[in-house]
Amino acid sequence: MKALKKLVHRWEFFLVIFLVLEFVVFGSANPKFLRANSIMTSIVNYISVCIISLFVTLVMITGGIDIQAASIIGLTSIIEGVLWSDAGLNIWVAVVIAIAAAAVCGALSGFFVAYCGVQPMVVTLGGSFLYSGLALLISGMSATPAYQGISGFPAKVGKTFVGFRFLGKGELLGIPMQIWIYLVLILLCAWILHRTKYGERLYLIGVNQQAAEYSGINTRLVIMSTYVLSAISAALAGTLLTSNMNSAKYNHGSGYTLAIITAVVLGGTLNTGGKGSILGTVLASLIICILRYGLPLCFGVSTQNLDLPVGIILVLVVLGREIAGQHMLSALFRKRG
Amino acid sequence: MNKIKDLFKARWMSSLVFLILLFLITGIADHNFLTYSNIINCFNTATMYTLLAIGIAFVIMTGEIDVSIGATLGLTAAMTGLIAQSGGSIGKMLLICVAVGAAVGVFNGVGVAFFGVPSLIFTLGTNGLIRGLIYIVTDGRTVENFGGPIAYYGNKELFAQITLYYALTVLLVAIAHILLTRTRKGKYFIAVGDNPGGANLVGISVFRTKLIAYILCGVFAGIAGYVFASKYRQVMTVAGNGYEMTAIAACVLGGISLSGGLGNMVGAAIGAVIMSSISRLLVFIGLPSDYNNTITGVMLIVIVVVDSLTQRRSIEMSRRKRLLSRTAPGAVKGGDEA
Repeated sequence: MKALKKLVHRWEFFLVIFLVLEFVVFGSANPKFLRANSIMTSIVNYISVCIISLFVTLVMITGGIDIQAASIIGLTSIIEGVLWSDAGLNIWVAVVIAIAAAAVCGALSGFFVAYCGVQPMVVTLGGSFLYSGLALLISGMSATPAYQGISGFPAKVGKTFVGFRFLGKGELLGIPMQIWIYLVLILLCAWILHRTKYGERLYLIGVNQQAAEYSGINTRLVIMSTYVLSAISAALAGTLLTSNMNSAKYNHGSGYTLAIITAVVLGGTLNTGGKGSILGTVLASLIICILRYGLPLCFGVSTQNLDLPVGIILVLVVLGREIAGQHMLSALFRKRG
Repeated sequence: MNKIKDLFKARWMSSLVFLILLFLITGIADHNFLTYSNIINCFNTATMYTLLAIGIAFVIMTGEIDVSIGATLGLTAAMTGLIAQSGGSIGKMLLICVAVGAAVGVFNGVGVAFFGVPSLIFTLGTNGLIRGLIYIVTDGRTVENFGGPIAYYGNKELFAQITLYYALTVLLVAIAHILLTRTRKGKYFIAVGDNPGGANLVGISVFRTKLIAYILCGVFAGIAGYVFASKYRQVMTVAGNGYEMTAIAACVLGGISLSGGLGNMVGAAIGAVIMSSISRLLVFIGLPSDYNNTITGVMLIVIVVVDSLTQRRSIEMSRRKRLLSRTAPGAVKGGDEA
């Protein structure tokens, strides 16, 4: 009984109910909604936000914030494109270099946050300008005009995708590769956060950095590493996007910043640090994703107009949580008094 | 003499020096730049960002943030355009802009200050909400083809090539600055941002101060929306996207600390000029406009890192002085003052 009560009070429980409710409402409004293929396509369309929000959760648990990840999507995409089409490198080598470059970008911002003590929001704001600017500069090196995007990535044999394009377009057991990768990353991230010492340290730093420092944790290195991880996840997202759309462009993912933060926050992660879970982030990003897919399909909402419901839900949810929390607190005090 | 010394110690002073340096470097690269009209133009184009920056500065000083101002700008700009299309007067437009901005401010302020939702999250939600409203108000179409008085005032020069709007903006900056530094209520903003608990203890209403900060922020964003419509006479549904980040960057460049309780309006206004003139300066230096974001990013990071390091050093120095004066009385003259 007590365990049940605890479960009901968990934020993730509420998210699950919300997600189920979405399926019920959308499914009854339009049976077409429940086609597995369409649902998977909708997740694939939103995969960048899903993947990056996983690792931005780690950053936010330490009390930081990362608003540069979206610009790293475009940066890795264009690096891969230019290295492959203009420098003539093997595409996989290009991917590795792009991911390494993203890691360096993350490390740079992480260094300023952790070792120079600059506010993370400011540094990553600067980073978002810097890395999107670099992406534009790199696209200028290509023979292909920047607005066009580099295309023609390998390879397609008949109707099946192989090699690089397999990542974004291929299927395994009837499920898109992107979703497999997402699943693996969820497991990896959950393991890192909830099962390793490193994850424990992230929470401790988020609760009280000084105490963490005094207990012998190299807090600066740990904080820096979270930014590297989130940058690498952004690089993966950029690679998947490039592979899926068959186009390398400098402005891929440029509008994702707020969507990523929304997913993390809706998932129950405190932006002051110390609280949050991977499950919450996953559920929240799926909720937004299904909402964006279901509303146009079932209720004819214009796809341009999807910011409104997402915004309303975010506001209502955080307000509701805050009010419920205060109510519970006051109830607690009343009991004591 | 002391006053002059204080002036040079002020945080906004370094931004001003930085702006002048930027102008000088550009002048060295291209002598044609250093003319009156070029420099005045840099200020004129900063009108919109200056309005946004001083608005959000109120909020940042209280230790909160508002990422919905870009959307507010887009909404009020679209409404201004629609009113202009139906032949409404400028007074009506301004009234609507201010009212809409204030309404957004009340919404944000109540959510953040009354219910205690983290400001980044709440205003993020507001951002989506207002972006959606823009589509509803405009039917997803670009608002354009409006003329009349609003078009006439858009680029009207008042005197000596200074546009009417920039002159009015400077007036608003001055009023905001005086409000903030010379009045009791104005000092509440800094007090609340510096130490909300302490402010509460001395009888300052943290809720009311933050609410007013958000309302002012919304109102300034609304006015900026009017200026947007008047200047460009074409409002797309994505108008103002990302402007919030530029405004925040302007505040940071102007020496306003994002943790609150530090900075002033003059700094924010100078920061806005820096942010909006970079593209113009690059043209004169001879770099293509592709370098715009890269330079902005590098500049922002370098400035905040240097600022944070020097601040940390000064804190450490004063702490060391204090310690020394405690262990050996009289060893350091006036150690306690630091």
